[in-house]
Amino acid sequence: MTPALAWGLVAGMAITNIVVRGAPMLVMSRLRLPSVVERWLGYIPVSVMAAIVAVQVLRPDGRYLPLAHNPYLFATLPTAVVYRYTRSFLGAVLVGIASFVVLRYLLG
Amino acid sequence: MLARMSKPLSPESVPPTRSARFVRGVRLGLPILLGYVPVGAAFGVAATAAGFTVAQATSCSALVLAGAGQFIGLAALQSSANLTAALVATGVVNLRYLLFSATMSPRTRETPRWQQLLIAFTLTDETFAVNIDDSLEGRADGWSMLAVGAVSWLGWTLGTLAGALAGSAIGDPARWGVGFAMPAMFTALLVGQVTGARTLVAAVLAAAFALVLAAALPGQWPVVLAAVVAASVMTAVPR
Repeated sequence: MTPALAWGLVAGMAITNIVVRGAPMLVMSRLRLPSVVERWLGYIPVSVMAAIVAVQVLRPDGRYLPLAHNPYLFATLPTAVVYRYTRSFLGAVLVGIASFVVLRYLLG
Repeated sequence: MLARMSKPLSPESVPPTRSARFVRGVRLGLPILLGYVPVGAAFGVAATAAGFTVAQATSCSALVLAGAGQFIGLAALQSSANLTAALVATGVVNLRYLLFSATMSPRTRETPRWQQLLIAFTLTDETFAVNIDDSLEGRADGWSMLAVGAVSWLGWTLGTLAGALAGSAIGDPARWGVGFAMPAMFTALLVGQVTGARTLVAAVLAAAFALVLAAALPGQWPVVLAAVVAASVMTAVPR
């Protein structure tokens, strides 16, 4: 790996990233969006999160785990319950990690 | 320091002072930091193994802040030694940020441009999810989003530095259970997003589409396409 290649990759990725991440927010926040677009964008967050959770939990390493031996799946339950009743984000994550460690041990 | 650089924004629903809102953001960002340190460390290990110096690996994380994108860029560069190919590969992986950035745009209307730039710079799957959830409760503002971004950036960059310095001596950080930090975070955020029957239906649709697509498509494509399809279906079906 030559220094030029390595720094070229760093600089190129930095530029593409800020353009891709910055342009829509900076431009669209100045526009009045049609209400149908706003409605559509309103459904994006819940859809993204549900999709991410489904894939991360059911296919943790890119493949399905047997359901009865999936610590990811069962650890989402205490996580969801803690968040639902405490609204503590950090608390839910810490409880989730602890349950995951226990479940991973129990479910082998 | 940051708290003195701009005029106050004072929507009624957010904590009263800028520093209080910033501190709230720091707290919201901590779970992200927890998840980023080990993954950042893994990138540091991988990058130095591929021939990056500690400075190159750490600058890469500090300037790019793109988990999968960085790993893919690195792998593509290593296998082809072709900078263009590597940049195209990482660019494609990061196209989903167009969607996330567009989704954030109505929620950053009140935010000054310099804050928008920094929020955009620290836009990742995780900061997106946290900030969107927070804005659903009406509390996110430029300062809290800046703080979420700053804490996440710190975790990712310091993790990379640690990994690059320690090299392979660290081993696999996953064994400490932090591998569940990100799924746990998204689970909590999903609970916050499901506010009624329609969002529940959207969630179920998106999860089902994503699982079907995950069998065929790599990376984050299943997530992006599933979200686009689910949101389109829900927008098309009248209330």
